[in-house]
Amino acid sequence: MKKKLLSVLLACTMVLGLCACGDQAGSAAPEDTADTVQTQAAADTATADSASSETTADTATVSDQAFGDTIKYDPTVPVNNGEPISIDYWLWTSDELWQSVMDKYMAIHPNVTINTINNPYDDYWVKLPLALEGADGPTLFNMHISYHDSVIKNLAPYDIPLEDIRADFNNVEPHVIDGQVYYLDTGVMTGSIFYNKDMWEAAGLTEADIPETWDEFFEVAKKLTIREDGQLIQAGFEFNNYINSNYLMGIQYQLGQNMFNDDMKTVTINNDAEVKVMQMLLDAYNVYEVGEADFCEDSIVSFATGQTAMVSSWGWLNDYMKANFPDINFGVFQVPVFDKNNIYAYNRSNTESTFGINKNADPAQIAVAQDIVKFLLADNESLLNLALGQSVFPTKKSLANDPALEQNAALYCLKDTVDQYVFPGALPSFFETYLAEAGEEILYNGVDIRTALQTAEDKINADLAGMDFTACEDAYTPRK
Amino acid sequence: MARSRLQLFQKRPLQPRSEVWLRNITMFCMLAFYITFFIVPIGMAFVGSFHDWNPMNGKYVKVGVSNYVALLSNETFWLSVKNTLLFCAVVVFFRALLGFLCAYAIYSKTVRGKNFFLTMYYMPVIAPLVAVTFIWKFMYEPKVGLINTLLGLSVNWLKNKNTALLAVMIMTVWKDFGYAVVLYMAGLMGLSEEVLEAAKVDGCNGLQLLKSVVLPLLRPTTLLIIVASIISYLQAYVQVLVLTEGGPGTSTYLTSYLIYNEAFVKFSFGSASAMSFVLFVFTAVATAISFKIQAGKAA
Repeated sequence: MKKKLLSVLLACTMVLGLCACGDQAGSAAPEDTADTVQTQAAADTATADSASSETTADTATVSDQAFGDTIKYDPTVPVNNGEPISIDYWLWTSDELWQSVMDKYMAIHPNVTINTINNPYDDYWVKLPLALEGADGPTLFNMHISYHDSVIKNLAPYDIPLEDIRADFNNVEPHVIDGQVYYLDTGVMTGSIFYNKDMWEAAGLTEADIPETWDEFFEVAKKLTIREDGQLIQAGFEFNNYINSNYLMGIQYQLGQNMFNDDMKTVTINNDAEVKVMQMLLDAYNVYEVGEADFCEDSIVSFATGQTAMVSSWGWLNDYMKANFPDINFGVFQVPVFDKNNIYAYNRSNTESTFGINKNADPAQIAVAQDIVKFLLADNESLLNLALGQSVFPTKKSLANDPALEQNAALYCLKDTVDQYVFPGALPSFFETYLAEAGEEILYNGVDIRTALQTAEDKINADLAGMDFTACEDAYTPRK
Repeated sequence: MARSRLQLFQKRPLQPRSEVWLRNITMFCMLAFYITFFIVPIGMAFVGSFHDWNPMNGKYVKVGVSNYVALLSNETFWLSVKNTLLFCAVVVFFRALLGFLCAYAIYSKTVRGKNFFLTMYYMPVIAPLVAVTFIWKFMYEPKVGLINTLLGLSVNWLKNKNTALLAVMIMTVWKDFGYAVVLYMAGLMGLSEEVLEAAKVDGCNGLQLLKSVVLPLLRPTTLLIIVASIISYLQAYVQVLVLTEGGPGTSTYLTSYLIYNEAFVKFSFGSASAMSFVLFVFTAVATAISFKIQAGKAA
């Protein structure tokens, strides 16, 4: 009897342990590197969004008429001659948003079976490049521009005339390789300021107080900061864990400073603009005292759990919050600038991508994958759902003024300035790694700003030297 | 002696054909497995360490020993080596020490429910490392974490360069010392009651019994624990990957984590292979030293 009781007790303990593990894994997502999170979280939240008012997946309709703008899709044309065929499709995290696209396609072509295979984001980019090298790789998979170099040699070009793609989409040129494209953007994303509306109201602030410059921003942040007996209870602003992607890789553009030198092959990190950005962040904690490096290890977690009033984040946070922290009442405003009369650009932009097609797959499967791509590019409803679900500004020209975009605060705040963000190209993932190291060296290890930035610059340039990479910052033209 | 040699060369009785087939097939499978998954990859990695090798873009250019030369001036690599040796030494020591103390306590005749304690100590060992590490990560949170709350501290464990590696070590010892408990318990159970009784009859007190009889008799167990731990901890990286990602800055980089980053984040397989072989040499040397020390004590 004793043994039985003990067994039951141990079994319960293990089950509870596993439950705890599951919860932790879920909440750990925001503590990853920024790009990791933005895509993961966007994917995570897609599930909720597909059921929310912001997306229209539930009301998706299957047309039997040809549809599309310049790229047309005719659902009456059979695929694989109507014979049964199945393909593997890889994506990261559970994402009903993408699945709804696949379901819609399979409803048109019931002879096609799409096996959706989920992978965690970090594992995905280890497994996928290796799988594409072999014979068992997926026919179709979700792409991310940061990993362009890892997979490009195994991608099949889209079987759609380039002029048709150019007619329907913005931001095509960075993807053209020898007159062909291998993947496109579903939309453009960038960083903005997320603020807790309840804390804002409690501090006596109104919409009229939304700051346009960093000076105004820190004045607001001070009003939002609460201390009791010298202990920080509520941070007005925090940036912990995101110095790299949300600041050192974007805010310097406001000062007219590119990340790349004129050759577009080497970077400059140790420059006056980056020093000014880093010093501004340090001043936030040391001079304005609106937050602390040790307040919460991850500023997004701190914001999501109601400990911090304002954070900078990319658009993915909009849906992540709604799906996982619905009790937090938040708003979004455009990132402040140093001088509102002299703006070179607001921030860096990046993109979410369409599918990649494995060129080593069976030709019949590749044909199906090409058909799915064509379906997606022609289907405005799916592209709009993806844009809203991922909080990216759609690159499809006909969707740019769609009234549905107003429902998404992270997108709506960009509506007038979406052309004032610099896309530097598909930056390799080590940019974030080395700039995160630099930020932590400065913030936590007391390393001099110039020394830490120079170390990051040297490491990035050393790694870039072994790559065939050319940035496209020089394609950006500031507004007159 | 001459006779036994002669016996060796005597023809063995004929074995059933099926037995011979089974033996050959088994041996072939084992050899094929080891050759395919160990010998060939190790050989490829060794050759690859002399190349600029990126399997993602097909780059494979001979560069001689430059990957090894580059390591000499790679500050992060040497920092990771220092961290790895420190991590290994501390964790192995406390794993063995705590493991022995707990096992010796459980071994006491006055303790009831030995199996319960053994099970409880061993449970963290069988729990998934990634899951346990995520739980500890939350426990280390500076404001809401369990550790600071219980101890009344305000330490940012994972972002302070003076505590980050220590935090990784504490978690690892907690997770793994149950392994040593079980091995020491098995060792203690195997001790001859007669020897222990004889020592008591000869006037040994508890401390003398522990120092002069029990510990020397458990030397093979200690050696096993130390060698297995060294091999395991020189390759540790999951804890760092989840808890600190090498930070703050680069202060908690372990060599295996650096190798992982080189190979599977930057896809720089050449330099990752070179690091792996340097780590291999360290592991071999550390293992040999452990054997030497234990052999010296035994002599």
